[in-house]
Amino acid sequence: MRWLALLVALLAALPARAQQPATTPLLTADLSTNQVEITTGFTGASVIVFGATENLIGPQTGEDVVVVAWGPPQATVVRRKVNFLGFWVNGPAATFPDIPGFYAIAATRPVWEALPEEVRRSGRLGLEALPLRAVGAQAPAFRAALLELKQQDGRWQEYAAPVTVAGGRLFSARVSFPDTVQTGDYRVEVLLLRERRIVARQELFLRVDRVGSAATIATVARSAPLLYGVGCIVLAALAGWLGSILFRRG
Amino acid sequence: MQVYLPIAEMSVDALLLLGIGFGVGWLSGLFGVGGGFLLTPLLILIGIPSPVAVASGANQTLGASVSGLIAQWRRDNVDLRMGLVLLAGGFVGSALGVQLFAALRRAGQVDIAVSFFYVVVLGTVGMLMVRESVRAIIRRRRTGVAASRAGEHTWLHGLPFKMRFRKSRLYISIVPPLLVGFLIGILSAVMGVGGGFMLVPAMIYLLGMPTSVVIGTSLFQVVFVSANVTLLQAWQVGSVDIVLTMLLLAGGVAGAQFGAAMGSKLRGEETRALLGLLVLGVALGLAWDLIRAPENLFSIGPAR
Repeated sequence: MRWLALLVALLAALPARAQQPATTPLLTADLSTNQVEITTGFTGASVIVFGATENLIGPQTGEDVVVVAWGPPQATVVRRKVNFLGFWVNGPAATFPDIPGFYAIAATRPVWEALPEEVRRSGRLGLEALPLRAVGAQAPAFRAALLELKQQDGRWQEYAAPVTVAGGRLFSARVSFPDTVQTGDYRVEVLLLRERRIVARQELFLRVDRVGSAATIATVARSAPLLYGVGCIVLAALAGWLGSILFRRG
Repeated sequence: MQVYLPIAEMSVDALLLLGIGFGVGWLSGLFGVGGGFLLTPLLILIGIPSPVAVASGANQTLGASVSGLIAQWRRDNVDLRMGLVLLAGGFVGSALGVQLFAALRRAGQVDIAVSFFYVVVLGTVGMLMVRESVRAIIRRRRTGVAASRAGEHTWLHGLPFKMRFRKSRLYISIVPPLLVGFLIGILSAVMGVGGGFMLVPAMIYLLGMPTSVVIGTSLFQVVFVSANVTLLQAWQVGSVDIVLTMLLLAGGVAGAQFGAAMGSKLRGEETRALLGLLVLGVALGLAWDLIRAPENLFSIGPAR
């Protein structure tokens, strides 16, 4: 509950801030945690991005907050099924070598309303602003399928969760990671928009890691596959033998 | 209760896996086969990636067959010499099968190839089993005795490299058992099955082995071939999920004991007819999935 404590502290600091605008930043933000742990009971996790702005957020002042979360790049292949002699088999494929494995954007107002296209493109804000370059099949249907399927399994999210604003200046947003989340370094960008420009930004970082037995198993399986294979054989044989003793009937 | 599978990289309901393990174990105890041919398609159905389902299925088959092998060994029902000949073929076949599997995975055709293999193999075996057992039932009704096929001479007996298999009371060429072991090794690697459901009929009808040693000897082959598949899949594909295997085994071993108790009350021919129908049912279900128009033409996966 580190973030709650920080929110309270920020609330208390607000009136004091207003009196000395020259030294206060336009935007401050932090994460509820900087480590997501994948344990044996992992079913997905969420991280809260929260912070405060110098000016009021909302349509009156024209200020908006955007939160973007990026996962490590993950080369992904999109395959199209074709009918071959009556059977549906995988046909042409397009490989997207450099796309984020995880991407989530949340905002007080959709970025296509708040920012011109070139800014969205250069900042990669919004799913349609992501450069999706494909190797292999080039039909636009592959790009559309990638966007659709990635959103379906929750690894790409566009305005799936809101950025909520309290007291005009405090904002928070929830970034949800599905159980299929990759491990690695994640980056969260918090942007403050005013008059179709980005006026302030802050970068935050978090790590997704396997811990405990899930981590041990995955590590051994990758670093010593032969040993892991032998272990699997021995364990399965022991379990089968033990089980037959335990459950023997008659 | 959700549990995270570290190799499949997803979380699954542990009770669902225990239930699947129990159900498949019960059926396998009932019919005296490993049940891998039911397990792998079920795992794929609940969303486990095909490579993990196949590899962990083989691993589970190993565990599920070990206790059966020990029991059969104690009763002296294993023809070790025949088992070793089958195994020699099985090792070569499964090593080749894993290479085939890895190549299919690189080509992005693994899901379809696994389904296709299942449809062809289960369809053929199921049909043969049903036909044979229905014939046997009819014959028994007509004559009152179960027919014996031992001692018949076929073209198989003309092949070279003959060897005496004392326990099976056979003097045959080692070529047919080597080939049988080889083919079942390939299927074991690609389908994640032990192959007992094919090995048993092949041993009875093709090799002419007496029923008393068939189950024990096939378990011998299944245990060691599935161990080989587990090792090679873990080593070359990296898709054996031990957490998945153990959950399936926990349910499966319990289920198998209940199934076996029930199976002893059924007649041989009727059991084979039921098993044949079950095998055919799985084949038809998978065939339907290959033929019907997919809901979404596109699929995504990690690029390798």
